[in-house]
Amino acid sequence: MMQSVSAQNRKRIAKTAHFVGLFIAMSIICIPGLWIVLNSFRPTVEIMAKPPVWIPNELNLDHYRAMFGGAGEGGVPVLTYFRNSMIISITSTVIALLVGMGGGYAFARYHFKGKSAIFVGLMVTRAVPGVALSLPLFIIFARLGIIDTHFGIILAYVAMNVPFTIWLIDGFMRQIPKELAEAAEIDGCTRWQAFWRVEFPVARSGIASAGIFAFLTSWNEYALASQLSRSTTSKTMPVGLLDFTSEFTLNWGGMCALAVLMILPALVLTFLVQKHLIAGLTFGGVKG
Amino acid sequence: MTKFTNGASIAVLALGLASGAQAGQFDGVTIDAKLIGGQQYEALYARIPEWEAATGAKVNIISKKNHFELDKEFKSDIAAGTTGWCVGSNHSSFAAQYPSLYTDLNGLIAQDSIDGFVGANIAAATLGGRLVMLPRAQFDVSALYYQKDLYTDEAKSTAFKAEYGYDLTVPETWAQVKDQAIFFADGPNFYGTQYAGKDEAIVGRYYEMVVAEGGKFFNDDFSPAFDSAEGKQALQWFVDLYDAKAVPAGTTNYLWDDLGNGFASGTIALNLDWPGWAGFFSDPSASKVAGNLGVAPAPKGSAGVRTGWSGFHGFSVTEQCDDKAAAASLVDFLTNEDSQKIESAAGPLPTRTAVWDYVTEDAKGDAFRTEVLAAFKETAKTAFAVPATPLWIEATNLIYPELQAAILSDKTVDEALADAAEAVDEMMREEGVY
Amino acid sequence: MKRFKMPPWLVLLLPAIIILSAVVLIPLVLSLYSSFTPYKLTRPESLYKWIGTFNYEKALGDTKFWAAFGRTILLLTIALNLEMLCGLGLALMVSKVTRGQRALRTAMMFPMMFSPILVGFQFKFIFNDNVGLVNNALQSLGITDMAIPWLVDGKLAMFAIIFAEMWTSTSVFAILILAGLFAIPQDPLEAAKVDGCTPIQSFRFVTLPFLMPFIYIAMAIRSLDVARAYDIVQIMTNGGPARRTELLWTLIGRTGYVDAKMGYANAMGYISIFLAIFFTIYFFRKLTAARAELGMGV
Repeated sequence: MMQSVSAQNRKRIAKTAHFVGLFIAMSIICIPGLWIVLNSFRPTVEIMAKPPVWIPNELNLDHYRAMFGGAGEGGVPVLTYFRNSMIISITSTVIALLVGMGGGYAFARYHFKGKSAIFVGLMVTRAVPGVALSLPLFIIFARLGIIDTHFGIILAYVAMNVPFTIWLIDGFMRQIPKELAEAAEIDGCTRWQAFWRVEFPVARSGIASAGIFAFLTSWNEYALASQLSRSTTSKTMPVGLLDFTSEFTLNWGGMCALAVLMILPALVLTFLVQKHLIAGLTFGGVKG
Repeated sequence: MTKFTNGASIAVLALGLASGAQAGQFDGVTIDAKLIGGQQYEALYARIPEWEAATGAKVNIISKKNHFELDKEFKSDIAAGTTGWCVGSNHSSFAAQYPSLYTDLNGLIAQDSIDGFVGANIAAATLGGRLVMLPRAQFDVSALYYQKDLYTDEAKSTAFKAEYGYDLTVPETWAQVKDQAIFFADGPNFYGTQYAGKDEAIVGRYYEMVVAEGGKFFNDDFSPAFDSAEGKQALQWFVDLYDAKAVPAGTTNYLWDDLGNGFASGTIALNLDWPGWAGFFSDPSASKVAGNLGVAPAPKGSAGVRTGWSGFHGFSVTEQCDDKAAAASLVDFLTNEDSQKIESAAGPLPTRTAVWDYVTEDAKGDAFRTEVLAAFKETAKTAFAVPATPLWIEATNLIYPELQAAILSDKTVDEALADAAEAVDEMMREEGVY
Repeated sequence: MKRFKMPPWLVLLLPAIIILSAVVLIPLVLSLYSSFTPYKLTRPESLYKWIGTFNYEKALGDTKFWAAFGRTILLLTIALNLEMLCGLGLALMVSKVTRGQRALRTAMMFPMMFSPILVGFQFKFIFNDNVGLVNNALQSLGITDMAIPWLVDGKLAMFAIIFAEMWTSTSVFAILILAGLFAIPQDPLEAAKVDGCTPIQSFRFVTLPFLMPFIYIAMAIRSLDVARAYDIVQIMTNGGPARRTELLWTLIGRTGYVDAKMGYANAMGYISIFLAIFFTIYFFRKLTAARAELGMGV
C-alpha cells in the first residue's frame, strides 16, 4: 500500500516536472517571437519605451496599413515579394527533394567505390562560406543573364538544399529494412515500383521533414538572395525587410508587420506537414 | 501637402517642356537605373513618369536596394563588368570608391543648372576635377536634438551653476555638452547623451571632432594625421563620457537606428543626430520627446569650429551608358528645383540654394520646422565631407575597432590611436598611395 | 551507345552532382584563383596579377585572423553542444505529451520560421542595454538596477550571440531527434522494461544508441549551417565592439565587400573552409560508427 502511494507520488512529481519544464522551454521559444507579433500591432512609441509599457495601451493596424499603402507613405510591394518568395521556395524545395531522393536512395541502397568520399564531398559544398561563393556566383549569373530572375535564385537554393536533403533521406532510407523492397521485387515489382509502392510511403516522414527544412531555408534565406536579386522582379521577403531601413533610420514596427506576413505561411505549412511527420509513428511500427 | 504636390507637378510639366528637355527628345530610349530604395527615398521616383512623358524616353528601374546593398552590387558589377546600365544612386561618402564606374557630368549638364546647387555640395561631388554625381535633396549633417524641459527646470539650473560655475543653457561647445551630459545622467533610466559607436559611424563622429578640435585627419598625402594632440583630445571626449557613465553602456554597439530609438524613448538628454529623424522625433505616435523637442546647431570644438561631418545622396551616370545625354537629363530632372521641393517637403535637406530659401519661406508659421531648418542651415554652412580618398571606408574599418578599444578602456587613447595610425599607414603603403 | 551503361547509383546521383558543380564548384575554383591575386572589386584589372601565396601568408601571420578563428571554433563548440542537449531535452519532453502534440510540435518549430536577418534585428533590440526587452524586464522585476551592456561586454556579447543562435537552431535538433524517437522500434524498449531496466537505463542503453545517427546528422548539418549565422552576428554586433565578437565570417565579409579586397577575403575563406571540412568529416565518422553499431550498413 505504502509503496504504491509513493510510486503514485513519484509519478505525480514527474508529471509536474514535465509540465513545468515544457512550459519554461516553450516560453523561451515563443516569447521572443510573439514579441515581434505584438510589436507589429503597437505604435512605435510603445515598443521601445522606457519605462516599459508592459500592457499595451493601444493596438492598431497602422503598420500594416502603411505597408500596403502607396510608395512614399511607407508602402512596400509586399504582395510581389510574397509571390516571389512563394514561387522560389516551393519550386526549389520540390526540385531539391526530387534530386535528394535520388541521391539519398543511391547512398542508402547501393555500394560503390569512393562512396564515403563522394558523400563527404557533397556535404562539404554546404560548408563553403557564402562570401567565397557569392561574388563568383554573381559574375557567372550576370554573364548568363540570370541575375534578378526566379530561375537564378531557385538554382542557387536547390544547390544549397540538396546536400541536406540527401543526407536526411539517406538517414531515413537506411532504417527501412532492405527485405521490404526485396520482397516486393520478388512479388514481380520492378525496382522503381518497389521504391514508389513500398519504400517511399515508409520514408515519407523523412521526406516530409527534409521538405520542411528545405522550404524554411529557402523561405528565410537572405545573403544569397540579396546578392542575386535586384528589383521587385525577384526580391524575396527577407530582402524586402530591408526596405524598412534607410541610411539612418529603421522602421522596426513596419519590419515586424512584414515579418508576421513572412512567419504566417511558414507556420501554417509546418502545421499541415506535421501530419506526415506523424507517419513516422507507423514507420516505427513497421520495423517492430 | 497633397495640394502642394499636385500644384508642383503641373508646374514641373510646364517647366520641363519649357527649359531643358524638348518633347520627344529621347523617343525610344530606355534608361536602366539602379536606385536607392527605402521609404524616405521613394516619393521622388513617383515623378519619373513626368520625365518619361516629357522626353519620350522610358526608365527601367532594374535595381532598388538599400544603400549598403547597393554599394555591394556596384562593386560586384564593376567586378563582373556588367556596368552597361545608365543611372545609379550614389553617395558622397562612397563615390570615391568607384573611380571607373561613373562619368564626368560637366558638359552633360547645363552649367546654370549646376550653378544652382550649394557650392560646397558640388565641390564634394567633384573628385579629381570630375563631377561624378548631382546631389538630390538628401543632404545630411547632424545637429543637436535636445529635451527642452531640461533647460526650464529651476532646480537643475541652480544645481548646475553651483557645480560648474556657468549658466545651464543649450550647449554651444562640446566641452559644455560633456559637462551637461555628465550632470543630466542618471543611469539606468536617463543618460546625458549617446553616440554612434560602430563601423564607419564612430569614425565619422571622431573625424568631425578632430576637425572641431583644430586637427587634421589625414595629411595632404593621405598619411594618417589623427594621432596628433588634437586627435587625442577628440578621442578623450568620447572616452570621458563613457567612463562617467553619461552615455548608455551599449553605445559602442549603437548604429543610427539605436540612437534614434533611444532618443525617442525619452531617456537621452542631448542627441547629435541627422535631419531625417526630425519628423520621427516630433511625431507623438513614435516618440516620447514630441512636444518637448529642441534643435540647436552642432556645437563647436575647442578650435571654435563646429562639427559638421556631412554627406548627401545623388545620382550618377555610368561611363558605359549608351545614351549619356538622356541619362544626364534624367539625373538633372531628379535633382532640379521642383524635385528637391517635393523631397524636402517631407523633411530632408535640399542641396540647391533656391530650395533652401523656398523651404525656409514655406516653414514660416511653423515654429518647430523653422527651428529645425535654422539649426541645420547654420550647421550646413561649415559642414565638410569625408576625405576624398577611395580608401576612406577601408580606413574606417581599421580605425573603428581601435576607437572602441579606447572607449572601453581595453587600450589607452595613445595606444589605440598609435595602433590605428600604424594600421592605416600600412594599408596606404600597400595600396601604393605614397 | 550501348557500350557504356551508367551504374544506377550514378544515374541517381548525377543531378545532384551537376547542380552542385555548377553552383558551388565552379565559383569555388574562380575564388580559389582570385585568392592568389591582389584582387580588388573596384579595380577589375587586379584580377590578372599573380602574387602567389602572399594573401595566405598575410592571413596566417595576422593575429586578428587567428583571434577570429579561435573565437569561431569556440562559438561552434559551445553553440552546437548546447543546442544538441537542449534539443534532446525538448524532444523528449514533447514526445511524452499525448494531447495537442501536433500544435506543440509546430510551436516548437516556431523559431525556424524567422529569417536569420530578422533574428539579428530582433535580438539586437531585445538585448539593447537602454530600451531593450531583457533589461526592461530585469529592471521592472527589481532584479537589477543596472543597464546591463549585453552587446558590449566581451562575455555577455558572446552569450547574446550564442543565445540568439540557439534560439533559432535548437528546434532543428529537437525536430530531427523527435523524428528519430518516433522511429525507434518498440520491441527492445518493452524487452528492457520486462528485464527490469529503470527508465534511465533503457534510455541510456536502448533509446540513445538508436538516436545517435540522428544526433550526428543534426550536428553535422548544423555545423555546416552555423557558418550561415553571419546575418545574425553581422546585425547584432558586426564583430564589435573592439573585435570582441569578431568571427571569421564577419571578418571575411567585411574584407571582401566593404573593403573590396576580394582576393585577401577569399584566401581567409579558404583557410576557414578547412575548418568546416574538419567538422564535417568528424561528424561523418561518428555517424558511420553509430550506424555500424546498429547494423545499418555504411
